Amino acid sequence: MINFPQRSVIALLCRVILGVVLVYASIDKIVHPAEFSKAIGNYNVLPFGLENLLGIVLPILELLVGTCLVLGVMLDGSAIIAAGMMVVFIIALSQALFRGIDINCGCFKVTVENGGHQVGIRRIIEDCIYLGMALMVLSRGERKWELYPKS
Amino acid sequence: MITQLPIGQIIVITITSTLLSLILNVVRPDGIPLLAKELAVAEEIEYDAATEPRLLAITLEQALDLYQKGTVFVDAREPEYYQEGHIRGAFNFPFFLELVFKLDSLQGKDAPLVIYCSGDECGSSEDLAYELQGEGFSNLLVFKGGWTAWNSSGHPMEP
Repeated sequence: MINFPQRSVIALLCRVILGVVLVYASIDKIVHPAEFSKAIGNYNVLPFGLENLLGIVLPILELLVGTCLVLGVMLDGSAIIAAGMMVVFIIALSQALFRGIDINCGCFKVTVENGGHQVGIRRIIEDCIYLGMALMVLSRGERKWELYPKS
Repeated sequence: MITQLPIGQIIVITITSTLLSLILNVVRPDGIPLLAKELAVAEEIEYDAATEPRLLAITLEQALDLYQKGTVFVDAREPEYYQEGHIRGAFNFPFFLELVFKLDSLQGKDAPLVIYCSGDECGSSEDLAYELQGEGFSNLLVFKGGWTAWNSSGHPMEP
């Protein structure tokens, strides 16, 4: 069984890695909002052209949540949002894979020409790992190395 | 304080990022509309070079009509899908600039061009159309039914 000090260190590692991944993933999307919205639209899961709204808001949410995770600000809220995002990504990727639609993932780089990837099982596994990291942060127990709120 | 509780933190983070992103979208020059618009469907297609630039969606019947008149077709799918089967005579280039060069030298940028991918639910044909529009191509027609519609109706294909 993992004891408390080790658990805090693992939670710290998870939170920093997950935070950096989220910040990194947000950058290309913030730079290319139109391309990212099209990538969301290609999943065919959102009605009424809502992909644009999600394409505008989601990257900034990723950036903010990632920053909060790295800095240790509002960790519970950030980790819950990060876990929620991963669940949504896993569902979106799985349904695309299940329906066999050949689309660009829009995960890290929003266009294939720019080094992005197609939807695939690898992305789903990665998101499952990130989900595990978010849950690890949530169950960290002792609150150490956190900026706000101080317990 | 609201930010002591996880639910309060979620609300604060969500509202902050929504406001920030909407403000950023308004001030940046390449901001996008809040809701996406579907590609307009062409009512009738004239074969000749369009008098003004167009990027429209077309039906299977319109695609067949254009095919019989000799319009160039571009397959926007990945090469491995193309090799499994495609509309007879359609182009497929893994490298975008190669495609641009080929199309430009073949028929210029104003001649009609039909672009398709696997079917109604794929987006690569529309993505490619916008990229070609960015390169100055002005007569772009996205065949929404794509390979699935063409294949199931038995129109000319290869191999």
